[in-house]
Amino acid sequence: MDIGELKQQSDLSYDIAVAKRNALEKAQARQVLAYNGNLFRADPQTICLVRTLKETNSSFFILDTNDNPVEINNADDFLNKLIARNQETLNTYHQTYETFARKR
Amino acid sequence: MTQGVLLFCFDTEHTRYHKILERCVGLIKKNLKSQITVVTNFETYKKLKPLGFVNYKFIEPELGNKLNGKTWNNVDRHMAYELSPYDTTLVMDIDYFCFSDNLAQLFNTDYDFLVANQAYDLSGRNSFDLRKWSMIPMVWATVLVFKKNQKVRKIFNTVKYIKKNYSYFNEMYRVYARNLRNDYLFAMALQQINGFIGYPKMPFALATLPPDCEVVKVTDKGLAWKHKDQISYVEGQDVHVLNKDVANV
Repeated sequence: MDIGELKQQSDLSYDIAVAKRNALEKAQARQVLAYNGNLFRADPQTICLVRTLKETNSSFFILDTNDNPVEINNADDFLNKLIARNQETLNTYHQTYETFARKR
Repeated sequence: MTQGVLLFCFDTEHTRYHKILERCVGLIKKNLKSQITVVTNFETYKKLKPLGFVNYKFIEPELGNKLNGKTWNNVDRHMAYELSPYDTTLVMDIDYFCFSDNLAQLFNTDYDFLVANQAYDLSGRNSFDLRKWSMIPMVWATVLVFKKNQKVRKIFNTVKYIKKNYSYFNEMYRVYARNLRNDYLFAMALQQINGFIGYPKMPFALATLPPDCEVVKVTDKGLAWKHKDQISYVEGQDVHVLNKDVANV
């Protein structure tokens, strides 16, 4: 392999890695959700916690992003919003990710 | 309860900040759909194109601050509490471009005061670690959200006090900044007023383009920049642009 080709491939890989990181950061920023006056992350951990707690409790407490306790009274509504936001961000991330695959 | 965005904009001899403001206002209207108040001076106002329904407050900027040897009129942020006509205010740097509606939901929280404590380098070099010598955690005053109440009034009063005695606090907290930065002022004030123990923050990093990244194109969806010989772009993501030549794009 000549050195020019090597550099070209290396540059391309770097660019894709940075773009991927940026797309992931964008997704994570978008996953922040305001609900009942507090802020949450629509991430797998929160979704799983809410789903687990709602199986046995109609209302329960969880921590927001600043560790404040928040009472959740309508778990179904909250869970639906978390899942919708999570999938919205990952769908966008997936679309961006597809463009990386074409560049490789 | 009223809510809106407060922006500060003053042209300097080197930079046409009003051009950046025009872009910023358009993006806020499109994505945040919020009321806007611009704090400016008459000289800057005269150069602005019609921006639709925007409130203006006129002040004379405090002079004397410099960035890289150029005039930098950025030290009036401490007056945001008095200048804002809103119950809940989002204060933003005009070079923070909202390509999403992410910030809009910050109006809908019970928090009195929120500030970001992380910046994310879009060029992939992790170049925004503000805390080198400092004894306290730093914040990015690029975006602030506050409600008008007694506690927040005290925060802004503390900011004013620290600004007045900046060199003392600068040394005490080992910030060692050569110029006056709102980031440092608010970091010190929040540390003081919150009992030196921590305070609520925005749970995301501010995506930021370093000054050596030249913005080559801005649309209403995103922007592209050049760094060395590489062109990159983002869409649908808010971006803090540190290269002021974006005024000419």
